[in-house]
Amino acid sequence: MGVVAEVEHRLAELRADDKTSGTRTSVMTHVAWAPPEWANAARRTLAGLEELHPSRTILLFPDPKRRDSIGVNVALRCFTIPGSTRQVCSDVIELRLGGKRAAAPASIVQPLLIADLPTFCRWRGLPPWGKPELEQLIDVCDRLVVDSAEWRGLSRGYAEVAKHFDRIAVSDIAWGRSVAWRGRLAAEWPELKKVKRLSVTGPKADALLLAGWLRTRLRRQVALTHRAAAQLERVAVDGEALVPPPGGPPSPSDLLSAELDQFGRDPIYEAAVTAAS
Amino acid sequence: MTDAVNPLLEGLRLRRNPDPCALVIFGASGDLTRRKLFPALYSLAARQLLPERFGIVGVARTEQTTKQWIAEMKRAVAEHGRDELRADVWKELAAAMRYVATDFADDAGEDKVVEVLRELDEQRGTGSNRVYYLAVPPVAFETIVNELGERRSHEGWTRLIVEKPFGQDRESARRLNEMLLAHFGEDEIYRIDHYLGKETVQNMMALRFANGIFEPIWNRQFIDHVQITVAESIGIEGRAAFYEEAGVIRDVFQNHLLQLVALTAMEPPIDFTADSVRNEKVKVLRSLHTPGPKSVVRGQYGRGFVEGEEEPGYREEDGVASDSPTDTYIAAKLYVDNWRWADTPFYVRAGKRMARRETTIAIQFQRAPHPPFAEIAGDGLRPNVLLIHVQPDEGVSLAIGAKVPGAGMSIRTVHMDFLYGGAFRTGLPEAYERLILDAMLGDATLFTRADEVEEQWALVDSIVAAWKRDRPSFPNYAAGTWGPRTGDDLLHRDGRSWRRH
Repeated sequence: MGVVAEVEHRLAELRADDKTSGTRTSVMTHVAWAPPEWANAARRTLAGLEELHPSRTILLFPDPKRRDSIGVNVALRCFTIPGSTRQVCSDVIELRLGGKRAAAPASIVQPLLIADLPTFCRWRGLPPWGKPELEQLIDVCDRLVVDSAEWRGLSRGYAEVAKHFDRIAVSDIAWGRSVAWRGRLAAEWPELKKVKRLSVTGPKADALLLAGWLRTRLRRQVALTHRAAAQLERVAVDGEALVPPPGGPPSPSDLLSAELDQFGRDPIYEAAVTAAS
Repeated sequence: MTDAVNPLLEGLRLRRNPDPCALVIFGASGDLTRRKLFPALYSLAARQLLPERFGIVGVARTEQTTKQWIAEMKRAVAEHGRDELRADVWKELAAAMRYVATDFADDAGEDKVVEVLRELDEQRGTGSNRVYYLAVPPVAFETIVNELGERRSHEGWTRLIVEKPFGQDRESARRLNEMLLAHFGEDEIYRIDHYLGKETVQNMMALRFANGIFEPIWNRQFIDHVQITVAESIGIEGRAAFYEEAGVIRDVFQNHLLQLVALTAMEPPIDFTADSVRNEKVKVLRSLHTPGPKSVVRGQYGRGFVEGEEEPGYREEDGVASDSPTDTYIAAKLYVDNWRWADTPFYVRAGKRMARRETTIAIQFQRAPHPPFAEIAGDGLRPNVLLIHVQPDEGVSLAIGAKVPGAGMSIRTVHMDFLYGGAFRTGLPEAYERLILDAMLGDATLFTRADEVEEQWALVDSIVAAWKRDRPSFPNYAAGTWGPRTGDDLLHRDGRSWRRH
């Protein structure tokens, strides 16, 4: 039995054994590429995400160092509908791609996609630009979701991701993370028109994207001073700190969730990336 | 680059937050405030949807301090809210709350409200923007509106939210409109029909106008008839004084039910702005008629069993006259006189103490013109029905005929379900959350306009005029059933029946 047939067989078994009387529902196929060091983080994010975006989730765990093999695990995630006793379930398919199987994910993913629904691909860590696994998944997905804060070599990363804008819509969670601060900066218009210096305390990716955004939107040079922190904590313009947006930082699940609500290309983000590279 | 166009706003996916404002609730110790308004305000606060600079002033006759009122509202949120009460969220909300104990007609008390609002402007930066919420019985509207009108400031914006019932007939609604319009512009008046705040009601517009497959068949050529049910399993819940005057026709039919008819039958608006949507709804309401008195059935529940519990009849409820002629059930056949709907009946019904709580809109399509397997399919082959579940189990179902697996050609009706709670697991916001937020944002799309209300009353007046001539034999249905037999006969005469439950 091939892998796809095995997955379908196991899904059918789960449906036949289903004692939850749950309804299957999906609003998308969510493909997540999670190398071993990202596996746990990917599972945690997924757990907080499914409540907002029930989807067939295909978790790909590549491990090229292992022997050639494909491990399959299929499960249902069920949730009780608020205010009701009825349950809604989604398929979760975990595929462990060992050896050279890790370089050919599309042949397994493609037959498992749900027809007519969008496919989002969350790529954990720095994408291997030009490598077949990335190229293949870009071809089967509608949107590539990355978090450039997970990358090393940001300038090169931005230059590489910019090369893909004409092939696939791209979302960067680092960009999403800064939306409230961008709102704060926008509220400073028109005083902000002559800004010279931006100071950001937070992840470097967020700082570079904020600076790139200001440069492209204002069409002027803006110098960036960056101080590292795990979260976006402080933004100052020409030495003046902005009042922080209300509420705490959004959770990883909420951030990914917001990106999964986007469909088309985002030219403002693309320009900010180009300016940040 | 001009200052007028802010290039930083382009593409910014920011949530729309309302301007700074103060919300003044008249009737702040009442049931509506406790059960609906404060739980809604708390949910908005928990999602950071309230303005950053915000204040709430509660006004009521009950003598209590701000501290006592805050404690009472906290209990109300814990009891009735959809979100768990979080100390940090409540602390922030409570800091914005003030209470004024006064009779609404007392000038000194109303001056005190103005003074507290000025303090809020200074302390919390609410910017002289006001949302006044009339969560009071209609008898108090005029006094409050006149007091507000006399004291209204010309700084900032003002919005007035008015709860139903909006009048008792067309004439009283018109007088009420005139009274409101003497002090406020139509664009400042937000008449609440909380059904319009329900996600599934709004989804009716999404379903019709965002899906290319429905609109071409949404007309008399393809639709046999429409059934709308607004059924409650509860009784009058201690509201005898109100209900004896209103009956189901004023409590539900005049507003919720006719709004559902209007949304089902309306033409596509040119856009989703308040006036475009309301213009189309008014056209439907103007085109509505009932063919005659026999096309309207009324009823009143007697003693019966609801969910296994024996319940008293309406005339046995506290505060209800033992010979009360008040209607607790109405069923009607309505026609929409336009090209799209001519001769297509809209059967509507609403009632108290019915078999279960259910609000649905069922669009029954014409039968397949020549089903080749009609004989072998037998009873299993039914017309397609698009069912919009407004509450509970919010969602949409489509009933289609499908072959039963196996030999032969046996056809059964199966349902394809879209459940809101399943596809979008965000937890549906309560109607009042959406409506309060929209009023703060100045979006009147989901509120009823003066002419809509008056058209709704025009139909009700014509029905009530006919009722004045007859003496109904009440009670005529048992609590826990789907209404009187005459309600079923209304459809049987046309060779149809209410949906099976």
